[in-house]
Amino acid sequence: MIRTLYIAYGAAVLLGLGVAQYQGWSLATVNEVKNVPRSVRDNPGSYRSVYSSYHHYTGGK
Amino acid sequence: MSAGAPPVKPQVKALNCPNCGAALVVRSFNTAVTIVCEGCHSILDAKDPNLQILQRFKVATDEDKPLIPLGTRGKIRGVDYEAIGFERRTIHVDGIPYSWHEYVLFNPYKGFRYLTEYNGHWNDVSTLKALPEFLPYASPPKVKYLGETYRHFQTAKAGTTFVLGEFPWQVRVGEASDVTDYVSPPRVISSEMTGGEVTWSMGEYLAGKDVWKAFRLPGSPPEAIGVYENQPSPLSAETRNIWVAFAAFLVVLVVMMIGFDLAARNEQVFTGYYKYNSNQRGEASFVTDDFEVKGHTSNVEVTTSTDVNNRWIYLNYALINEATGQAFDFGREVSYYHGYDSDGAWSEGKANDSVAIPKVPPGRYYLRVEPEGDPGYGMTYYTVTVKRDVPQYSFYAIALGALLLPAILLTWRSLSFEHLRWAESDHPPINLGGNE
Repeated sequence: MIRTLYIAYGAAVLLGLGVAQYQGWSLATVNEVKNVPRSVRDNPGSYRSVYSSYHHYTGGK
Repeated sequence: MSAGAPPVKPQVKALNCPNCGAALVVRSFNTAVTIVCEGCHSILDAKDPNLQILQRFKVATDEDKPLIPLGTRGKIRGVDYEAIGFERRTIHVDGIPYSWHEYVLFNPYKGFRYLTEYNGHWNDVSTLKALPEFLPYASPPKVKYLGETYRHFQTAKAGTTFVLGEFPWQVRVGEASDVTDYVSPPRVISSEMTGGEVTWSMGEYLAGKDVWKAFRLPGSPPEAIGVYENQPSPLSAETRNIWVAFAAFLVVLVVMMIGFDLAARNEQVFTGYYKYNSNQRGEASFVTDDFEVKGHTSNVEVTTSTDVNNRWIYLNYALINEATGQAFDFGREVSYYHGYDSDGAWSEGKANDSVAIPKVPPGRYYLRVEPEGDPGYGMTYYTVTVKRDVPQYSFYAIALGALLLPAILLTWRSLSFEHLRWAESDHPPINLGGNE
């Protein structure tokens, strides 16, 4: 019983892995934006990224 | 019963107890050596025509009722047996008494066999026809029988504390013997030494429900408490099966990795060389030339290689589909610091960075790039490279972990079961008391 469950679970894991690889999944945080105006091409400053307020690390030891 | 021979109904011979006069039922013909009167518990010599009283014992506070009533018939391994005798035996460990019960079963053609019961755990026991072989120098001691190795579990002095019915030996209450058990679940080999005579027997674990079914007993058996010495682990076979399945999955995983690696386009679709002057005021954002992202929906890997040295650069990226206006917005900080201190050389971060943008449909794209840096850093040179359909190995690691986890958990549970088993033995896995 446990073996059957594990085989089903393992098959699901490998299926998920296959889908992830085929569709190009990633662990990166990306924000998807729809309908960015074509004017950005000519005026890049008109577009503001959601990441522009990110506080940068200025460290080092 | 054998198939060819006509069934012979055992004859019952009625006798009376010379002590109390109660009727005695002899179920084992003339094979019983002693009979215990169910009325007054006198132990009688079954070989004596006058049923000489061998022993009387008090049962006022020590009465024990067999779970299988004497006279009950049942089928063990396809053979009909009748329960004819019952005894309780007791060992003392650290001053605490532990008792189990033994049932004498009889078939006129097959002879005697026994059932033992302790805390709801049952064993089907029969005497050995040959002596087991002692394995020299084994620690803990081991014996070998019919090619199977049995590990020493416990040695204790067992006393008979209650008897009832018929026995094929001279039974006495208070009689003590040295009992040693060697286990190889689901079997146990036991030696009993009484007055220089050693008897070897083998038991095989039985579930209470199987005993109830065999003897068609009413109700349900007492629930098994704890883990018994030869109780088969419900998980050991499963654990082995899981690891076999895991090995098969691992092979599939490696094949998938090689397959996806070979099938991946891993195609560089864009590269651009840029510089950013953080001292310069004004709009820093710009867009790249457009580029074609081919194939099915897959990832796009953006790699930023910089010349940062004890500083950072932050790049706001937007990968924009020229036709649909769909954008994938992300930011990447690239920082690299290094130096020396009292602990020696140190470094932190690196001068380049890669990120995979998931599920990017095919089409023509361009990048909007907006670099940021601390004023005063001056010029930073960097290269942006875009690749299509790049294998992501992190998912293989996640899948491997997901496959390993149940196998490890099951193994841990299986080991816990064995731990509980051996905790009751003369060889506990962890000696919490500090002395064995």
